[in-house]
Amino acid sequence: MIKVEKRNDVSRSIYFLTPVLAIFLTLFGGGIIFFILGFNPIEALKFFFITPISDLYGLSELLVKATPLCLIAIGLSFCFKSNNWNIGAEGQLIFGGIVGGGVALIFYNHDGFYVLPIIILSGAIGGMLFAMIPAILKTYFNTNEILVSLMLVYVAKLLLDYLVVGPWSNPEGFNFPETRQFSESARMPILFDGLRIHAGIFITLITVFLSWIILYKTYLGFQIKVSGLSLKTAKYAGFKGKTMIIIVFMISGACAGLAGVGEITGPIGQLHRNISPDYGFTAIIVAFLGRLNPIGIIFASLIVALTYLGAETAQIFLQVPKYTGQVFQGMILFFLLGSDYLLFFKIKFLGLKKNEL
Amino acid sequence: MNTKLKVSEISKIYPGCIANDKVSLEFGSGKIYALLGENGAGKSTLVKILSGVVKPDEGEVFLNNESVKLNSPLDAKKNNIGMVFQHFNLFETLSVFENLSIDSDKKDEELRGLVNDILKKYNFKIDLDIPVLNLSAGQKQKVEIIRCLIRNPKVLIMDEPTSVLTEQETDDLFISLKQFSKDGILIIYITHKLKEVLSLCDEVAVMRKGKVVSVSNTINEKIESLANKMVGENLNTIKKKINNFKNNEEILKISNLNFKSDDPYETNLNNLNLSLKKGECLGIAGISGNGQNELFQILSGEIITEGTSIMFRNKEIGKLNPRERREYLMAFSPEDRISQAAVPELKIYENVALNNFKSSNFFEKGLVNEKKIKEHSKKILSNFSVNTDNVELKSQFLSGGNLQKLIIGRELITSPELLVCFNPTWGLDVGAINYIHETLIQINEQGKSSILISTDNDELLKLSDRICVIYKGKLSKIMNADTVTAEKLGILMGGGSID
Repeated sequence: MIKVEKRNDVSRSIYFLTPVLAIFLTLFGGGIIFFILGFNPIEALKFFFITPISDLYGLSELLVKATPLCLIAIGLSFCFKSNNWNIGAEGQLIFGGIVGGGVALIFYNHDGFYVLPIIILSGAIGGMLFAMIPAILKTYFNTNEILVSLMLVYVAKLLLDYLVVGPWSNPEGFNFPETRQFSESARMPILFDGLRIHAGIFITLITVFLSWIILYKTYLGFQIKVSGLSLKTAKYAGFKGKTMIIIVFMISGACAGLAGVGEITGPIGQLHRNISPDYGFTAIIVAFLGRLNPIGIIFASLIVALTYLGAETAQIFLQVPKYTGQVFQGMILFFLLGSDYLLFFKIKFLGLKKNEL
Repeated sequence: MNTKLKVSEISKIYPGCIANDKVSLEFGSGKIYALLGENGAGKSTLVKILSGVVKPDEGEVFLNNESVKLNSPLDAKKNNIGMVFQHFNLFETLSVFENLSIDSDKKDEELRGLVNDILKKYNFKIDLDIPVLNLSAGQKQKVEIIRCLIRNPKVLIMDEPTSVLTEQETDDLFISLKQFSKDGILIIYITHKLKEVLSLCDEVAVMRKGKVVSVSNTINEKIESLANKMVGENLNTIKKKINNFKNNEEILKISNLNFKSDDPYETNLNNLNLSLKKGECLGIAGISGNGQNELFQILSGEIITEGTSIMFRNKEIGKLNPRERREYLMAFSPEDRISQAAVPELKIYENVALNNFKSSNFFEKGLVNEKKIKEHSKKILSNFSVNTDNVELKSQFLSGGNLQKLIIGRELITSPELLVCFNPTWGLDVGAINYIHETLIQINEQGKSSILISTDNDELLKLSDRICVIYKGKLSKIMNADTVTAEKLGILMGGGSID
């Protein structure tokens, strides 16, 4: 007989240490996979996790990838903390990119300091409006936000496809599925010459700071916390449940929209079909690995960003497909959920009693 | 076919409660047996043992004089014991026939023939090929019954089957049950409704606090005698001094309030009327599940109604949510103290902040004023003798009694004009119960009013000035507490009526 019991008190330090344990288990599991594929596991892991960040360019790339991941994950933490399962951040990112990109195209032959802020703002609003669709359907029609937000990802993707192939495609672009390059004043300022790291990182850092204040120091944050722990209590305390659902989706969508607009005005510089390597989905892993805590999410975004880079170097040096990166992301989530289960539940092995034989 | 079922010296002990204490009963086919008792009397545990869901600590079950081991529901099925639970176990989106075929090993055509025979024999009208979600509660119950009948049961156990049925469906059910009984099936009928016992059953066993207190023929029983046995003798409790509130101002008035729920397991409230005077304690008795939950939520604002249906200090509050009602000096202590009144994972001071009203200044301009909340919490901990002074402690580490003191303290420290509490002392030890009772008496002495919804009759008789009973969502006449006896309460709680 095996019996599973809930643990009553989980110490806070262990709660934040288990993600670290999950990362070590992932390295170990990854080593085994490389070994089975016939590589020296230590060497392979070195290519995966050390080589990509052993020079300045690599570090800059790490931050370029971590910037959107962290931003989206922060937004998602508002939803997840209050028991709202928004898994459509990818769609909100793309829609934010579409709106921001559209505005950038309007201004493509304008110069001026005002261009970039307008684009960024419209991207955030785009993501926000797109996230409000599942929120409003959930509050007024009792739909399931998981399904609606997920399905809307494909709506946004196909809309982007249509736009870059059709009406928005570059008139001088030989029918490639992409828009014009944005004007210089529509681009995120580059921080260092020769590196791709851009001013979007400041947007992310400011958002992290604001989120920390909202989550831990405001009435809204308190309501989010209580609703996440017990909806019955939130109702009893008289919190306005519907309003709160819409607010957390708006925050989350705005963050994803910002991430989208950061990508197209930052490293990409135009709209095309693949403006995001699934950042919106990967950010779900980042949010949980960071324990839905703003500081935790910063560290988690760096680690998950590294799996993107590692996959690229591994592809070059070990000739393995770049999807190994997703294998590592999957393993992180798997080990995190596994150690969480053992963290919150005790498993007891009981001997068989006589009358059960 | 003659079936004899005997339970002998069955005991089942849960931590802190003896659910069955050496229960011995005998049943024979051809009769319908009632198992009567209040909530927590042990009848559910006994039927769970008979259906293999729960294993007894001691004692044996005999079927036709042979000892049977019922280690799982499968064993019960093998021994031809069928059980229809209060909550249905059906797949809503599958058709009726699919639901029946899931746990049957017969071929589809054979099963369909068998089911059609049963439908014809008992005159059930159910379309086998429509999804279960399109059925009424009564029809769903019939599907559950058919599922038992397929297996040729010797024993059929019905657990409070009428709680989700309409009057007409109840009559239909009784006709069917009598037919089954004629066909030789032994029927055990679990209920706390006295009328049903008298109109349906041949014998009645009454359980109280885990023990069988009486077994008798229903011909020899009346509603009053059963009520007395079910509720127990009137204990000599010290009643508080009952005051005459004739001249006091009316503080709360509910008129013609109706509530209809979409959830079939919730109770609808019909034409509710009550009024409460300043300084008065109104007790609401009843067996749980008769609408107490819904009534509490209507009072607290978790369920919103028409504005005019609830007047509090001459203001319409029916449309206000709980937080807005607190601004009008109402306070609420729900039944579920562990996951509703407080959140175990939150610290004490965070739980205190749940009772947030404007003048408390817990949240200024949307920001948390932690210092203020903590000061306020410290005051509650010392004023209401909670045995800690650490406001940073997570409330899961408080004992039930201390948690309840914290909750009552949180609600009362704002000096509300009305406190609504629902089973405030369930599961507490004697010391904590006394403390809570004294506190509740005290607030009445200070001229504040209270509504006490409780399933504990002793508590109601001790604390209330006036008492009424809620039964199937309807309130009885409100009586002065000094004219109320446990017997009267028992009759009303079981659905009977007194002059």
